[in-house]
Amino acid sequence: MTSRQLNMVQAINSTLDFALSKNDSVVLLGEDIGRDGGVFRVTEGLQAKYGAERVIDMPLVELGIVGMAIGMALNGLKPIPEIQFQDFIFTAFDQLVNQAAKLRYRSGGQYNVPMILRTPYGGGIKGGLYHSQSGEAYFAHTAGLTVISPSNAYDAKGLLISSLEYEDPIIFLEPKKLYRAAKMEVPDEEYKIPIGKASIVREGDDLTIITYGSMVPLVNSAVEKNKVNAEIIDLRTIMPYDGEAILQSVKKTGRAMIVHEAPRTLGMGSEISAFLAERAIDYLMAPILRVTGPDTPFPYRLEDYYMPNERKIMKAVGKLMEFR
Amino acid sequence: MTEDFNDQEEKDVFLRAYSSMILSRMFDKKIVSAQRQGRVGFYTPTIGQEATQVGVSMALKKGDLVYEYYRDVPFMIHRGVPIEILLDQIMGNGEDSAKGRQMPSHYNAKEYNFMSVQSPVAANLPLAVGAAYAIKLRKEDKVVVTTFGDGSTSTPDFHAAMNLASVFNLPIIFLCENNQWAISLPVEKQTKVEIWKKAEAYGAHGVKVDGNDFLETFKVAKEAVERARSGKGPVLIEAVSYRIGPHSTSDDPSKYRSEGITEGSEKDPIVIAEKRLKELDYITDEVIDKMKSEAKRIVDEKFDEREKIPPPKPETMFDDVYKEMTWIIKEEKGEVL
Repeated sequence: MTSRQLNMVQAINSTLDFALSKNDSVVLLGEDIGRDGGVFRVTEGLQAKYGAERVIDMPLVELGIVGMAIGMALNGLKPIPEIQFQDFIFTAFDQLVNQAAKLRYRSGGQYNVPMILRTPYGGGIKGGLYHSQSGEAYFAHTAGLTVISPSNAYDAKGLLISSLEYEDPIIFLEPKKLYRAAKMEVPDEEYKIPIGKASIVREGDDLTIITYGSMVPLVNSAVEKNKVNAEIIDLRTIMPYDGEAILQSVKKTGRAMIVHEAPRTLGMGSEISAFLAERAIDYLMAPILRVTGPDTPFPYRLEDYYMPNERKIMKAVGKLMEFR
Repeated sequence: MTEDFNDQEEKDVFLRAYSSMILSRMFDKKIVSAQRQGRVGFYTPTIGQEATQVGVSMALKKGDLVYEYYRDVPFMIHRGVPIEILLDQIMGNGEDSAKGRQMPSHYNAKEYNFMSVQSPVAANLPLAVGAAYAIKLRKEDKVVVTTFGDGSTSTPDFHAAMNLASVFNLPIIFLCENNQWAISLPVEKQTKVEIWKKAEAYGAHGVKVDGNDFLETFKVAKEAVERARSGKGPVLIEAVSYRIGPHSTSDDPSKYRSEGITEGSEKDPIVIAEKRLKELDYITDEVIDKMKSEAKRIVDEKFDEREKIPPPKPETMFDDVYKEMTWIIKEEKGEVL
């Protein structure tokens, strides 16, 4: 078994390459994804290899990209639309919420939308208000959508391969801060990471930290550095999230916190807190805490204050451990 | 009348079209009256748009795809969708393919190449463009027709779809069923430009037709379909008719408009069709009366039959959200039932 050192951009690029070569029905569409290879270079070289009819440079209209992709998916293609920045997805929101998410349900299963919508999300790249948002809760709140976010190159490939066989619309959120942050061994061969299954990034006994996307390496390094005996859960699939894995861990540790960069109120942290409050109250030794972005828009110059960081995480860890 | 058929074929085709228009009209009247009696929850009448829809439908082949909107009963009837499918949807009964999940007038008929209908207007247009792209990519001999009202031309979806279809030179017909009213807003307050003229701005072909006349509409649609099928790109047809009824059974048009075309007046598409068919010696008053009473009988009979079907079972509410039911929905199902 051969493998290569790849960053997340390279891992996704090679997986898209694999998808296009293996299945004629796969098409990519998005702004600047062809000749330019995408603003983050995720689709570099694919148009030259597979042609402009399958790696489509789209006019600048998000609702058209998503709407067209849905129409393709309804007609036997496997479209992988890209929205250049997740912040720009909102003009396509009706297409996602009222079309993609509801077609299977409203047609009694006659129609379905096997589409993988890829989009970079999150802060940490000096993107300001409109190139930094984490909108996962909007999508997770919509019945019919499946929301995925990898936190490393290996998972990105395995989750994307599982997504290729999935028959419902997926919002594949790529944490852009991690695109080139680290390289790791990624097998050349095909492998799958199941949708809906979290991974235990690190085992521990004193508390459980539930997180995903760009926060995973941050939480991991904070915990390592400060020698906290924490169990870290990387959700990988945000919706449907792996309730069983969360519950098992929290029953063991008795303390839980959730870390994400999206705003706190009604974010995934709220959902997971409620989930734990409903079924793990007898096991909890401390209140469930959330370390998140604040309920403000995402500020450009002050992004370091906005994003969760080691200090905020350790402060919450201290609070959890000291609670009596 | 046309070179497409010999005389007997032409007579058969035209009479079948008339028959679809009559059946649609009887269907419409039945559902509106059933709604008044509390037997149906809601309905968006089609009355006045029969010729537009049947005329375009006549120009299509079996494999062509239609991304319709919620007022397209005559279109569906003429393409062979059994009225049972429409009735089951309107009643939301246990035989409805969508298990009673949608309000009436939101049909599904995949088997007959109709898309599932949504409420937000014009949202079907970008999907139709995607379908046309798939057809072109696979070099299939098909066209897509997508339908919408005059109000839809104000939406970003209309603009996006017209632009994309033109940029990619796709085999698609945009059928604007201009019935002149978007609920209470008249078309002259919807847009400052005649709808068919908008095509030019996108590099598409635009054409306007009297949508009350099924033969005129058929002629224009046939040219449009041939054009799209032969790779010459999208066509926007503006078929001008009139919404004789209200927007929906929940709407009272007397609040915002005085009467325009009324049922049975000389612009009524059914009256025009009868006149045309009589001129061609294809039909007599006697045959017309017979066809109308037969259509009414069929609709009454089918309505009573479908009305007896029980509602969907409560547990079906949780199906078809995803291919595999998630653990979350399984739990919620357990709590509800």
